[in-house]
Formats: sequence, C-alpha cells, structure tokens
Amino acid sequence: MAVTWRAVALAAAGILAVVLLPATGTVLLWTVLVLVVCVLDALLAASPRQVAVRREVPSSVRLTEAARSTLTLTNVGRRKLRALVRDAWPPSSGADDNRHRIEVPAGDGRRVTTTLRPTRRGDAHADLVTIRTFGPLGLAGRQASLTVPGRLRVLPEFASRKHLPSRLARLRELDGRAAVQVRGPGTEFDSLREYVIGDDVRAIDWRATARRADVVVRTWRPERDRRVLIVLDTSRTSAVRVQDAPRIDASIEAALLLAALATRAGDRVELIVYDRTVRGRVAGQSGPRVMPAFADALALAEPQLIEADWAGIVGQVRQRLSQRALVVLLSALDPAAVEHGLLGVVNQLTERHQVVLASVADPEVDALRSARHDAAAVFDAAAAERVGLERAAVAVRLRQRGVEVLDALPDNLAPKLADTYLALKAAGRL
Amino acid sequence: MSAPVLTTHAAPVVGDGTTGRSRAASRWRRWRMPLGILGLLCLVGLLAALPEPVTSTASLAPDNALPGGARAAAQILGDQGVDVRYVRRIADVERLAGPDSTVLLVGDALIDTSHTDVLRKTGADLVLVDADWAVSELTGSLGAGSTTGIPQKRTAECDDPDAVAAGTITATGYLQALDGTAVVCFPAPGSATSAGGAYGVTTVDDQRVAVLTDRAPLTNERLADEGNAALVLRMLGRHERLVWYIPSPDDVEAGGSSRPGIADVVPPVVYVVGLQLLLVAAVAALWRGRRLGRVVTEKMPVVVRAGETTRGRGRLYRRSRAYGHAAAALRAGAAARSCARLGLPRSAAPLVVIEALARASGRRSDQVEALLYGPPPTDDNGLAQLARDLDHLESEVHRS
Repeated sequence: MAVTWRAVALAAAGILAVVLLPATGTVLLWTVLVLVVCVLDALLAASPRQVAVRREVPSSVRLTEAARSTLTLTNVGRRKLRALVRDAWPPSSGADDNRHRIEVPAGDGRRVTTTLRPTRRGDAHADLVTIRTFGPLGLAGRQASLTVPGRLRVLPEFASRKHLPSRLARLRELDGRAAVQVRGPGTEFDSLREYVIGDDVRAIDWRATARRADVVVRTWRPERDRRVLIVLDTSRTSAVRVQDAPRIDASIEAALLLAALATRAGDRVELIVYDRTVRGRVAGQSGPRVMPAFADALALAEPQLIEADWAGIVGQVRQRLSQRALVVLLSALDPAAVEHGLLGVVNQLTERHQVVLASVADPEVDALRSARHDAAAVFDAAAAERVGLERAAVAVRLRQRGVEVLDALPDNLAPKLADTYLALKAAGRL
Repeated sequence: MSAPVLTTHAAPVVGDGTTGRSRAASRWRRWRMPLGILGLLCLVGLLAALPEPVTSTASLAPDNALPGGARAAAQILGDQGVDVRYVRRIADVERLAGPDSTVLLVGDALIDTSHTDVLRKTGADLVLVDADWAVSELTGSLGAGSTTGIPQKRTAECDDPDAVAAGTITATGYLQALDGTAVVCFPAPGSATSAGGAYGVTTVDDQRVAVLTDRAPLTNERLADEGNAALVLRMLGRHERLVWYIPSPDDVEAGGSSRPGIADVVPPVVYVVGLQLLLVAAVAALWRGRRLGRVVTEKMPVVVRAGETTRGRGRLYRRSRAYGHAAAALRAGAAARSCARLGLPRSAAPLVVIEALARASGRRSDQVEALLYGPPPTDDNGLAQLARDLDHLESEVHRS
C-alpha cells in the first residue's frame, strides 16, 4: 500500500471542514474518511502482480556508450493498469531516468525504455522491477517488486583504438620495407620480384636470375603466425589508482591495442588474467573472434587485494606455450613486489621467450619530485627520488635478465607497448 | 568488438511469487518480534503501575494511607454513610457544598479572602483544621493561638457535646474564645480553658464553625489514640455530605480574575486545526516515506592513490629527521639524471662523475664534489638549500 500527494491534499482539505466545524470529532471523522477512501482506492487499483514483465537488454555495451533496457509490460488482469514502474539498476550503470508512468488497458501491453550509461566495467545485473499501481482516484495504490533478470556486460572502453590506424600503417611499412631490408634472422621469404635500383644486392636470388633474363631479388616480410601471450596481473598492485583510474584500466587498454594489432599482423594472441589463480583466459581464437573474446574476458578483470603468484604465472605460461613466443606481462614495476616475485622466476621465461614487462608509471611521483615549496615537500621529493631510483634499479636488473621493460604514463602505455611490439617484429625478435 | 546482441528472457515474469496469504504470513513473521516486545513492555508497565493504588501523599488527604494521611478517618466516615468528596479547588467546594453539608478545610497557607468568602457563602458547617488565619477571618469570636509544641493528652474541660463525648484527645495549640458565643475545649494539662485550648466551636450567622488547632487527631497515626476518633467523627459526620478541601497551590483565585495566559488568548479552533495538521503530516510522511522499490547497492572499488606510499615514505623521513637519507636520495637522483644527460654509465666512479659535471656546468670540481658528496645537511633549511643547489647544477648541466 502506498499513498500519493492526492491523499495528502485530501487530508489537507479537512482543514476547511475543521474551521467550519471546530471540534475534535471533525478531525476524527475526516481521518476515518481519508483512511476509508485510501483503502478503497487501493483495493480498486489493478494488482501489480497481474502484470507480465519481459526485459530486453543488450548483452554487452562498451564503457561510456549508452545501452537501452526495455521492459515490456502486459496487463494480464481485468482492470485498467495505472502504474509507476521503476527499472532499478546499480548506481554505476547510470540508469538515471528509470521511472516510467504508464496506463495500460486490460490485455494490452506497453514498452518502457531506460537508458543506461555505465560508468564501470564489468557485469551489471538488473535489480528488481518495482510496479506501483494506483486506484481510480489516484489517492493510493499497491506496490510489488518483481525479479526480472537482466545482465549487461560493460566492456572496456578501448580508447586506445585511436592509435590502431597509425600502428597498422607502420605494420604495412614493415611489409613494404622487405626490398631494402637486410636479410636477417627471423624474417620470412615472401616472393621474388625484379631488381630495382636501391635494393640490397645481397637480396639478389642468383638462381632465379639465371632462370630468367632479369635480375630478381627475394623479398621478405615479417614473420607471421607468431604467438603472443598477454598476462594481465590483477594482484594488489593493479588496484592502485593512477590519476583517476586504477592501474588495471591502463593495462587493459594496452592489452586490447596489442591484441588488435597482433591479430592484424597475423599473429596468434592469447590472454591469461592471473593473480593467484586464473581469473580469465582467451586461447585458441583467431581472426575476428579474438577481439570480442578479449573484451569479454577483460570486462570482468577486477583487481584483487592479494599478492601475485609469479611462480604460478610462469607455470601457466609454460603450460600454454611450447615454442618461442612474445610474453607480455602487464604488471607494475613495484620494486618490492618485483624483487620478491618476478625477479626470482623471470629467468625461466626469458630463456625460452621474449618477455616484455609493461608497467603504468605514476605522474604524481614526478610532481612530488620537483616540489620544493616547504620542508615537508623536500622530504617528499627525496622519497620520490628514492622511489624513482629503486624503480630504475629494478628495471636494470630485469633488463639484465633479458626483459624489455616499459614504464609509461597511463595514456602512453598502450601506444608504447604497440611500438615495442612493432620494433620487436621489425627486428625479427619474435 | 561485436555488435551488441539483444537478449530477451523467454518467459515473461508475472508476479513476485507471493500470494496475499504468504505476504500476510511474512509480514506477521517480520512484525511479530517487535510487536511482542512492545506488548511485553506495555504489560510490564501495567504491572508496575498496578500495585500502586490511587493514593496521594498530601498531608491529611482522605486517600493518603501514610501515617500523616487521613484515609482511616475518611473510610470510617464513608462506612457510616457520609458522602466524602475530596477536592483541591475552591470552585469544587462552591459547587458541592450547601447548607446541609460539612466543609473541612485543612491548612490555610494557600488561600486568601476570596476563598474564605466562598466558604462563608456556602452556608455549610465549617471545620477548620490548622488554619489560624482562616479562623480569625471567618469568626470574630475565636482567636488563634500558637500551635507549636508536641501533641499532648488533654481532657475536654468544657460542655460541648462532641468534646465531652471524646473525653480526652492528643493535641496541641492554644485557641482562645474572644467572646461568650464561642466554646473552647481541651486546654493544656493543668491550665484552664481561658488560657486557650485545642478545639473550639462557635456559630457565625447560623453557620457552625468548629476549629481544631492541631492536625494530629485526624492522622492515621493518632486517630485511634484516646478520644481522637470520637471527636473527629462527630465533628465531620454531622451531615450526609462532607467536602474535604485541601487547598492546592495551582488553584486559581476564587474570583476568577486570574492573569490571562497564552491559552486564553488562542482561539480553541487552533487546537483542532493543529490536530488536523498532524493528520496531514502523517499522510505526507506516508507519501514520502514509501520507497519505490529497494535501494540498490553495489560494491565500491578500493581507492588507494599511487602516490600515497611515496608520501608516506616522505613523512617517515621527516618524522625521523633523516636528513642524511633524504639528502642522499636527492643527490643520487640528480647525479643519475646528469649522468644520463652526459652519457655516463650508471656505474661510473664518483671522480669521473665529478669531473664530467664540473666540465659541463663550468663550476669548480671541489664545488661539485661538496654538493654531491659533501656532508649531509642537519636541518630543514640545509636540506632545502641542498635541493635548490642540486636543481641549479642540474639545470646548468642540461643547458650545456
């Protein structure tokens, strides 16, 4: 049972009656009148449990984009339905305008749409659908909350896709550079073509030249069908907020850009989301199925407040990869965490694979380092200086073990990782 | 990424799986505990209130069972068929008392002439207990004496039938007859009634006025002593109706000329409108109080700023006044950046670094050495100065 402002107005109208007949009895009588009329109105309202509700919601939406949750309400009772419907979603789903007033004759149906603008990655589950029906007078009504399941998967924003066209162009340049490229390790024979001035004479294929009248050179193209394994670390270091977003968001952007680029380059990309156990995995996908799988798996990656199990990660990598591959560790260059975790086991990775550690740097530390305005700021600067030195030292130790270390600001991490990938590819180090 | 696919749940949802009966049952389950506790509280309150009979603690009140009360006398009178009416207001006295009734006045500290006028006008027999001022106000023939001293056993020593019937009483006080119309009894032991007694009777304009100077004979404690009971019962039981008047401090003046309060100024309709407004407020509370479905909760992410650990370290340095550590960090940072700028390896020896920096910045090498490897500062100013000097050095190196 619920009352509306009209019931309040009815109660307020009693003031007039009381002024005309100033007695306690008048108040009592009016109270009984309001009560009886409200109860009657509520009894005459259509039952909120005589409404068939069906929900339509997209299976997924990209962060910052809008999705529409549509409820179809069919009046299966015999009375006319006047109701207020609330389609409840969690706050981060951005369902701001989720109350709808409807009038449905018996047997008829209506559709109401709630626009969702999610502000958080992950699965958003619809909460209850609440229907409040009103009686013919609109004084009072009945209310019921129904469980109408619905799930909206909010995929990562993939803002770094703006870097994809320029990187793809670079990738095509790699193809084209075959003619002038030094014949090095790790490049693949592509085709034969006529010699043009400027080509490396060492690329001339003498046998083919002998068979034909022209001088023929071999062309090369970057290797294809290499394997790229992206390991996203969701341990405690990924929860730290850099600028306004946790570190993991920047890592996810980098993973998506690299996956898109490597897929176009013809490599096979896999993903493991790991902290102490596998939280998500993409494997065995190829072509157009890679990106949806990545987005889906990364949508659910959430930072866990536990320490990463690097030995476990190495075990996973060895289990997945039998041949040489590019292993990208999206983690943090946190001196303590790296020293106790990664440094001990990284040799097992680098002896078989090309390893890249991509870490999100914190611009705040740089700002702290240059602050001089008072004594406390100088001490903070000294601490920032020390942190920077330790990071550099740990990066050096990792590089000595053959790891490519990438330390970039959140916005730069994705393009830098793509550039690193292209550079490794051009050098034939995959 | 794929185009979003609309998912529709095949079976529409009708109702929330409850019936009127199950809802009533769940409501009962939810409310029975609070209701039970409320009921228990009410019961305990009632039980606590029950053993307390309707009694007062006012002195000589007919419903006061304490030693200083007068419930015994009132009950005996009631049993004998006297209609005892206990009142605290003069208006009630005026309403209840008539020529064929008795009015008992206990104490006169809270009354004035308007009250005594009313008492006189009723025409009822008056019994004045411990009311010296009222005695002199109502009768011209009895003069108030002092009532100090402890009650003592006194004999009648007069020919008033009530006093004679009582014989002896325990009382104190010295009431004096001012003229021949008054009879005074129960003088102090060993003295004559002319010296004053505890009890006196006179008649003023056909109104019989009996006076008892002492409260003691009426009290529960002393009613049974000597002839107290006889005197009291005869004194009070002369008529079918007894108006037992104990003045109340909040009694308005008998004339009704009280100071107008806020209650007299406000028209009565305001109270009723106030009640109606209460109803409006209650309905409005119901209107705004009922939520349209439950509040949806959500787990919030942890917010730890990346710079927090660095700041914490800075605070630790500062609290422990670790100027040496702080200075070493600043120097190492400046040296590392300058070396990178000049193309020196990180592992370069101090002497090499000093030489290279001196060349690049144009300073003397002992200056550079003092700056990079000198003794650590010992206070805040020294550290700030070092930081500024290192900044200068670095900018000079970078300019070169």
